[in-house]
Formats: sequence, structure tokens, C-alpha cells
Amino acid sequence: MKTLAIALAATSIAFATPIAGAQEATSAEAATAAQTMVTAKVNGMVCDFCARAVTKVFGKEDAVENVHVDLDNGEIHVTLKPGAEMADDRVETLVKKSGYDLVSIERETA
Amino acid sequence: MKLIQYASLSLAFGLAVFAPIAEARPVSYPGGWTVMQMNNGDMSAAHIHYSPTFKDSIGLYSERNWGEDWHFTGVQYNRLVKRWNTPTSQANLYLKAAAGQADPFGDGADVEAAGFVGVGADWETRRWFVSYEGRAYDLGFDKDARQSARIGVAPYVGDYGDLHTWLMLQVENQPESDTPTTLTPLVRFFYDVQLLEIGYTPESEEFMLNWIVRF
Repeated sequence: MKTLAIALAATSIAFATPIAGAQEATSAEAATAAQTMVTAKVNGMVCDFCARAVTKVFGKEDAVENVHVDLDNGEIHVTLKPGAEMADDRVETLVKKSGYDLVSIERETA
Repeated sequence: MKLIQYASLSLAFGLAVFAPIAEARPVSYPGGWTVMQMNNGDMSAAHIHYSPTFKDSIGLYSERNWGEDWHFTGVQYNRLVKRWNTPTSQANLYLKAAAGQADPFGDGADVEAAGFVGVGADWETRRWFVSYEGRAYDLGFDKDARQSARIGVAPYVGDYGDLHTWLMLQVENQPESDTPTTLTPLVRFFYDVQLLEIGYTPESEEFMLNWIVRF
């Protein structure tokens, strides 16, 4: 009986360890796959040429997966690649490089 | 050399076959190219430029002035001197300069060094548009000047990627012309990176056709 209990415990440990490891890996992958959307509110975007400029300038960045311009609200929505980051000062530089003025930055991670 | 001259002329005429004055957006985004072509009966012009920054562009400009009978070809530099950005509007002040050569067609005169300087300004919201441009030419054998102003309204406001439509009225003053001051109602269509303007000037009974493509 005692031998059986020890064997069961050993089996549990043997199987438990890989499962825990797998859970850690899944969490790590989830963290790696997290995507950030940066919303930059800017002044001066009034036409499609403006939107085009912003799309082109942000689109050249390695960290950027997608750029969407909302002319109604004067916002640039930048979806970063999974795990990628873009600092606020970089966002401001790119907005200025496009010819516009940054008002505020908001971030959302999914 | 003659072949090059012939090719240049052919290109200029080819680009300017219909062939402005109101060069909308003389600068682009960094790395952007713009091709624009303007025709109003009195003149035909083509301009292609490259913008290394959003404040500068440099390119080639060719203009055939039908009214004064000369042809200018040269290198043009445009500078965004100041931009005012607000939540709902954008205003710009531009300086323009070009240097090249002018050819007085039909006069038997030689080609001469020539150039022009200009100033442009605009203010724009998604509903309203106002602009001004003035230019002074030194063609070597002659001098010329002209200025124009525009006011425009968008009957509807579309989002990025929609077809935008503007109704505009342009007043142009060209002292040397047979009709020094003209009024031109025009409609502007703006889709993605393409802009097309079609207008008509009753005083001179001439059509206006301008287009811009940016890439």
C-alpha cells in the first residue's frame, strides 16, 4: 500500500511539472502576443493628403502593423506589431515629421 | 543636343497638352512625390516634385504661356515657411522659386535664362478653403506677373478614403493678359491621392483642367 502511494505521488509530480511548464509558456506567449494600439490626437489633419502623409510616415516604422486615420476626431490609430513598443517621444517625432502637432497620446493593450 | 531639346519640348507639351496657377500643396510628406498638371486656356503647366521633408520640395516645372507666347522650363524649389495647425484647420505660408530658361516662341529671339519667385498661402478646414498665390517672372526678354485667390466650400464632409467634392470660385489677375481679371467657378474632386479640378472662365470662354497625383 505504502509503495503504491509513493508510486502515485511520484507519477503526479512527474506529470505535474510539465503541465505547470506548459502553463508558463502559454502565459509568456500571451504576453508576447499582446498588441498595443496607440491613439495620437493631433492638430491640423483636415484632408486626405494629410491622412496619407501620416499613414506613410508611421507605416515606415518597423514596430507598426497598421495605421488608421480618423479625420472626424483628428486621431491617428497606430496598431503595433505583437510585442513591439513605441515611446511617446517617437510618436511625437513622427507626428511632427508628418507636418502636424501632437495634442495627446493614449495607449490600449489587447 | 537638339535631340534632348526636342525631347524636352515634346515632354513639356505632352504633359502640358491641355496645361495654372493655383498649385495646391506644393510640398508633400517626407519621401513623397507629386505630379501636377494645370491648364486654363491661357497657359499649360506641369510640375513634378520630390519632398525630402514636409517643409521642402524640389522638382521640375514647365509652363507654356499661350497668351503671352513663351515657354519656361526650370528647376523649382518650394518652401513651407510656416504652418498653423489647429484642431479643425490648417493654414500654410509658402515661398516658391524657380530658375531655368525661357523660350519666346515665334519671335525668333534666343532662349534666355529665366526664373520666377512666388508666394502662396492657404487656410483650410474640412468644410472651407481659402487660398492666394502670386508670382513674378523674369523671362529675360520680358517680365510677367499674376496672382490668384480662391474660396471653396465642401457640400458634404467625407472621411479619409471617401470621394471629396469642393465647389470653388477663383479670381485671377494677370495684368499683361487681354482679359486681366477673370472669375472661374470650378469643382474639385479629391479621392485618395488624386485631385481633379474642372472649371470654366466665362470672360475668356476657356476651360480649366488641373490634376494632382501624389505617391
